[in-house]
Amino acid sequence: MGLNIQFGETGILNFAYIGFVAVGSYVTGATSLPKANTGIGAGQHYILGLNLPFPFNLLAGGIVSSLLAVIVAFIALRRLRTDYLAMVLISLSLVLYDVCNNFVPLFNGPDGLYNIPEPMSGIFHLDSNQFVGFFAGVTGIFALIMWLFMSRIMNSPLGRTFRAIRDDPGVASALGKNIFKYQITSMVIGAFFAGIGGGLIIQFGGSFNTSAWLPGETFVVFAVVIVGGVGNNLGLLVGSLLVETVLVHLPAFLPDIPGHTGLIQYIDAMLIGILLWAMLWFRPQGMVPAKVRSTASLLKKYALKKNPDLQNVEVK
Amino acid sequence: MSTNEIAIGAPILSCHELKKSFLGVVAVNGASFEVPKGLITALIGPNGAGKTTVVNLLSGMMKSDSGTMHIGNTDVTNWPDYKIAAQGLMRTFQLSRELSGLSVLENLLVAKRIQSGESLFNIFFRNGLVKRDEAVNIELALNTLKKYGLYELRDNRASALSGGQKKLLEIARGVMANPVILLLDEPMAGVNPALIDKIGEYIIDLKNQGMTILMVEHNLNIVEKICDFVIVLAEGKTLATGRLSELRADEAVVRAYLGEVINANTSS
Repeated sequence: MGLNIQFGETGILNFAYIGFVAVGSYVTGATSLPKANTGIGAGQHYILGLNLPFPFNLLAGGIVSSLLAVIVAFIALRRLRTDYLAMVLISLSLVLYDVCNNFVPLFNGPDGLYNIPEPMSGIFHLDSNQFVGFFAGVTGIFALIMWLFMSRIMNSPLGRTFRAIRDDPGVASALGKNIFKYQITSMVIGAFFAGIGGGLIIQFGGSFNTSAWLPGETFVVFAVVIVGGVGNNLGLLVGSLLVETVLVHLPAFLPDIPGHTGLIQYIDAMLIGILLWAMLWFRPQGMVPAKVRSTASLLKKYALKKNPDLQNVEVK
Repeated sequence: MSTNEIAIGAPILSCHELKKSFLGVVAVNGASFEVPKGLITALIGPNGAGKTTVVNLLSGMMKSDSGTMHIGNTDVTNWPDYKIAAQGLMRTFQLSRELSGLSVLENLLVAKRIQSGESLFNIFFRNGLVKRDEAVNIELALNTLKKYGLYELRDNRASALSGGQKKLLEIARGVMANPVILLLDEPMAGVNPALIDKIGEYIIDLKNQGMTILMVEHNLNIVEKICDFVIVLAEGKTLATGRLSELRADEAVVRAYLGEVINANTSS
């Protein structure tokens, strides 16, 4: 959803998306752990160590990710458009990866963070198995809240301005829209969502390290958006079910092909690539194409309820 | 002084010694002129005279190399385009640039200049205000669409419109922003004759509502019919300004541009 507002709605090719997810994840982890090398954090090196309770640690993840977006936007977005911006963001993703992997004092290098306390299991006295089900529910609630939040933005005049910038930044600017301002807004919202998403990953799994976010993962997220349908939430749901669940996670449950350990993963990656290519070629609008917002729906939403003067505008 | 206080016929938009070159090729070479308020002014000149570049400079899409420009008394030299739009100058494009993924109605709605619903804070905390404003905007947009004969197409994607319809959409979108000055870059290029007359009527109508119009136009019959004032550009410079009837007596203008047209008219 975060990438959808950046790419699907505002047209920013954020190839560093997974980097924002990772930052959110690390920060959530590091803020929920106690000071480095004490208690459950023994043997790990990291900054922060604030021992924040859920959901404040998650919020911290989102906020730091947004801050990173602001910095990136001021440096890169201000001057660069489309292709060049995409290249800068790919490199950003690689730089973030290398820093996290090699600079151990930051987030414990390649080992990553682990032993993250299970949120709220203390309050509800849950054991590990119960926690999985419980937290899946919590994640679901978060997803629902984010969905509602995003729908509200996308259906508002702000969302419309985002789409105008996607279609033609020159025209949007000529119409008096300060496109830089809107692009920053979009970047920050998207990065916040990425951060929260990353935070949920580390809370769920209890650990997070560099093997979980190879920069190439960004393209899986792009595949989700493109396969599902650019610019709408329902498409994202379809896209993530299809790409993430069926193609990325399901193969892990398939038995190995005898004599070719790991072959399935490679076939899997190829399948995602082929699917992406085929979608772009044959159905660029995605599985669930974004609908044009009709006059009738706009009138229903804004006008007929509150403004009686408008009832004489005929609707066919 | 705000642009409201300027008398009709007094200059509202002016530029002085505007220059712009692209990699050494001089496109605009010291253009200076004034656009009178509340009238329709034509910007004419042979191909390559720098008309579109002047429009790009005036609307802030390009920065000039030197020279100044004013809207009313405000110096807007090299302001970015969105700020110039906020000063009340709106432009259309020679090749229609519709917002292709948006519906025709949304193309208009997006053009409204100040919208409460474009603020993230308002969307979540002042929803009532956003809804009221949006209702007013929708009504205005639907009425504008009716006026320009695009009402039936309101729910189509803008990319699905025909060339002529896109031209109308460009104008309607500009009008929706309710500008003080409307810059039309060849509003009638590539449009069938019946629609040309229609667009001419729309433009006169806008003038009657008090809008200032500067249009780039090639067809001198139209210029003669609807424009009050003419600016002739040649080789990036202002060659002459005045009424078309006066300019016909000007030898330099005739040589640069009008010659063939006048000859054609007299011989027929």
